[in-house]
Amino acid sequence: MIRTYIKTAWRNILKNKGVFSLNIAGLSIGIACCLLIVLFVTDELSYDKFHEKADNIVRVVFRAKVNGEVIKEAVVMAPVAQTLKEELPEVLDATRIRRIWMPKMRYENTTYRDSRFAYVDPNFFDIFTLPVIKGNQENPLKEPGTIVLTRDEARKYFGNSNPIGKMLVMGDAEEQFRVTAVIENIPENSHFHFDMFASMEGYPYAKNTFWTKSDFFTYLLLREGTDPELLEDKLPPIVESHMGPQMKDEIGMSFAEFTKDNQLGLFLQPLTDIHLNSDFANASELEQGGNIKYIYIFGAIGLFMLLIACINFMNLSTATAAKRTKEVGIRKVLGSERKQLISQFLTESLIATLIAMVIGFFLVILALPFFNNLSGKALNPAFLLKFRTGAVLLVMMAFISLTAGGYPAFFLSSFKPVAALKSKFFTGKGTKGLRSGLVVFQFVISAGLIFATLVVGRQMSYIQNKNVGYDRDQILVLRDAHLLGHNKTAFKNEILKDPRVKNVTTSAYVPAGPTNNSMSGVFLGDRYQRRMHYYNIDEEYLSVMGMELVAGRNFSKVFGADSLNVIINETAVETLGFKDNPIGKTLTRANDKGGEELTVIGVVRDFHFKSLHQPIEPLILRYNSYGGLILRTTVADMSGLIESIQKLWNRFDSGEPFTYAILDDSYKETYRAEQKMGDILRIFALLTIFVACLGLFGLVTFTTEQRLKEIGIRKVLGSSVAQIVTLLSKDFLKLILLSFVIAFPIGYYFMDRWLRDFSYRTDIRWWVFVLAALITVFIALVTISFKSVKAALENPVKSLKTE
Amino acid sequence: MLLQLNNIFKWVNSGGRRTFLLKDINLTVEEGEFISIMGPSGSGKTTLLNVVGMLDGFNEGEYNFMDESVHQLKEKHRANLYKEYIGFVFQAYHLIDELTVYENIETPLLYKKMKSSERKALVADMLDRFNIVGKKDLFPEQLSGGQQQLVGIARALISKPKLILADEPTGNLNSKQGEEIMDLFKQLNEEGVTIIQVTHSEKNAAYGSRIIELLDGREIK
Repeated sequence: MIRTYIKTAWRNILKNKGVFSLNIAGLSIGIACCLLIVLFVTDELSYDKFHEKADNIVRVVFRAKVNGEVIKEAVVMAPVAQTLKEELPEVLDATRIRRIWMPKMRYENTTYRDSRFAYVDPNFFDIFTLPVIKGNQENPLKEPGTIVLTRDEARKYFGNSNPIGKMLVMGDAEEQFRVTAVIENIPENSHFHFDMFASMEGYPYAKNTFWTKSDFFTYLLLREGTDPELLEDKLPPIVESHMGPQMKDEIGMSFAEFTKDNQLGLFLQPLTDIHLNSDFANASELEQGGNIKYIYIFGAIGLFMLLIACINFMNLSTATAAKRTKEVGIRKVLGSERKQLISQFLTESLIATLIAMVIGFFLVILALPFFNNLSGKALNPAFLLKFRTGAVLLVMMAFISLTAGGYPAFFLSSFKPVAALKSKFFTGKGTKGLRSGLVVFQFVISAGLIFATLVVGRQMSYIQNKNVGYDRDQILVLRDAHLLGHNKTAFKNEILKDPRVKNVTTSAYVPAGPTNNSMSGVFLGDRYQRRMHYYNIDEEYLSVMGMELVAGRNFSKVFGADSLNVIINETAVETLGFKDNPIGKTLTRANDKGGEELTVIGVVRDFHFKSLHQPIEPLILRYNSYGGLILRTTVADMSGLIESIQKLWNRFDSGEPFTYAILDDSYKETYRAEQKMGDILRIFALLTIFVACLGLFGLVTFTTEQRLKEIGIRKVLGSSVAQIVTLLSKDFLKLILLSFVIAFPIGYYFMDRWLRDFSYRTDIRWWVFVLAALITVFIALVTISFKSVKAALENPVKSLKTE
Repeated sequence: MLLQLNNIFKWVNSGGRRTFLLKDINLTVEEGEFISIMGPSGSGKTTLLNVVGMLDGFNEGEYNFMDESVHQLKEKHRANLYKEYIGFVFQAYHLIDELTVYENIETPLLYKKMKSSERKALVADMLDRFNIVGKKDLFPEQLSGGQQQLVGIARALISKPKLILADEPTGNLNSKQGEEIMDLFKQLNEEGVTIIQVTHSEKNAAYGSRIIELLDGREIK
């Protein structure tokens, strides 16, 4: 029987090649997109799950709200780990990471400055599953001055020779590390990627007892079955007992007094939540995480793609059902039971699905490099061959064949034999309503995605064109220039001789890309206000960056004159209540020596020194220049200039590698996640409407075929080609217009929420809706006209003769 | 007695009025009979045939088929009954276009869940008997009308039915082909198969042993 099912299915497929190819094309695109998205989502969801104890590991994080300022940090104080381990029986073990930003590392005569370096507690490898492949398996970091390298890193320094026992030297202080073990490279789906792990033993900071300085990523291993949320409730008293006394010393307030108006505390975050469910600023995190929102968005798109393809299948099958009624009738007369007919039709959709899956599979393999490039992932096609993927595929296949073939199967098999043989029964009226509904559904999704794409595109161009308060074009950042030490001034003077360089400033603070960050508490008189950001700059900074002074004066070169003077931004003026005349006002900056009084000499127009996701915060600029160089150039294409500067750099022969960043690129990099999302969204939106149009094309083909005689009669009666095209397009256009009514409110709701993530954003104007509608209608009309124009141009005699 | 219809009524309601398709039909068919149903268009010939073939229901009356009360049977049992004992031949042949001659003849056996080897033997016999072995791999559209009807009859006979219902079997054929088909029916009848045919032609009706004339759903003698 099965053989007969397959045989008839196959012959039917061959007979209806046109419809079948449309179905297969749509389905395979749908399946390919869905598979890609499944790959992407599974990868995102798999982060940190490879650690054997992942389910019992939590990270301790810090959250506070102080005078209205929200502070979120993924790092906590040095003693937290030990304290929680001692005081909470649920905590089996605790380990810490202290990140050192790419220190200079030397082995004999080779120096690198790109090793991602961390001090970790000796028990680190007991908690995290990072297998040792060479060297000390047991406890490689027990001794002070020991270090563990990843496989690639070991090869980088030592080539093929045995790394165990070799000595690495860090920084100018020449700290020595002995390699005790090599571990496997850290999997892509980890929330940290360090190249070297040095023992925290003997690292002086690790022992400090301050409960007021956060520097350590701290992880707890909990006893099996511990609920982190319940454990969290036990933290506040511990925090109070340790932080209280130190706070009194530091700001002169008791813990109780402080927490009356402010909140502050330690919280627990499951390890597996770190990648997707973290809300810490990128600077505070170990690595930029993913976003669970995008997982939902892409998950939904994947499902929609599949549904749209399935709908094509359903629509085309029911539309062409008229051709099958006779067969159903005969089979019933010959003794077929209904379930046998259902099986037969389901076999057809199963075969179609199978073919589409194979094609979809190849599409995925073809598209994967491109998709990886787009999504910034390293997904491997080998993943598709895994057992679990196989299971997913099977489920998907069952789902598709049932959704796509189920309705037609039940519908077709329900015909009464006599009626079916007469073929009078089938006018398609009953299914026409359903088909219309499904077409509307498809176009709701298509129009919705087009709308979303437009909004994302507009926000991205808003970001690109937004006046951020400084001029980011033609600026070159040499953050590592300070590595030249006393040669830096000479280097700077040489650079200034280049006619392509307009001006140079010395500062470690850059508004986009890698930058130093400084914050400290600000008092007015003896009243604590809040923490504020600091920029340490020189007198050229404002002019190089193209920032505008709205009141007062710039710093002056005269030595020592401005060391206690500051320029503040407009937001700081407002926050500090200096509205009427900020110039000459004073504020006190908290420091180790009890505070220093600073006088405001100028106000700079607000500029965005954080991403547009966040509102501009108060900022204080001090005259205290250190760090790298920032160049304002006169050329748009900086490659030539960079080349000459590199030559210059090499002349100083510092042994340090030359690095640079173009400010505009760094700025764009800040919004890479959104850019990526926008790119992916655009492609999927296009594919979605393409697949929807395949279905539309099929339906139009079918209806024009059905109405061929009517068209013939109308033409004989004098109808024009345009009138006929209108006649054929009208019904579909109505459906598409209806879909806008549903799509746009939903689209508006979601895109408005997406935009709210940005403190600075575009608004959704009416014409965005109109544009989205026009694009959709245009694409649909082009699709329809392929068939309708041809039908309208046909010689009426031909169509009438056949009847 | 093969089957018996007692006071069969069938009607449709349209526009508040009841239109009778069959009116008080009484019919007894003995095994081995060859009956022709005649009457003008719309007189209810095909409806009667469909009722007998259990493809169509009726509103009132009793129908007994080989001691089973058809009017009391569930749909599924009814289907099993006609699957077992009745073969159908249509004016428009109603072969399945996607299947070859061989497969068309085989289909009823598939639905009877017969084993492959048995099916092969039976279909081979049938092809032999009708002299269409050479055409077994052709599709219906590659055959002439007469040949298609031959396949239709072969298909109806494959499950060894007691009763063949033929709805104007020669209606789409030229006179020579028609004669051949009628001869075949006669021969089958002589072999013991009961046949009921609907026909317009007096000549074809004459092949039968009994003629039933219908007018407006009513039997006239």
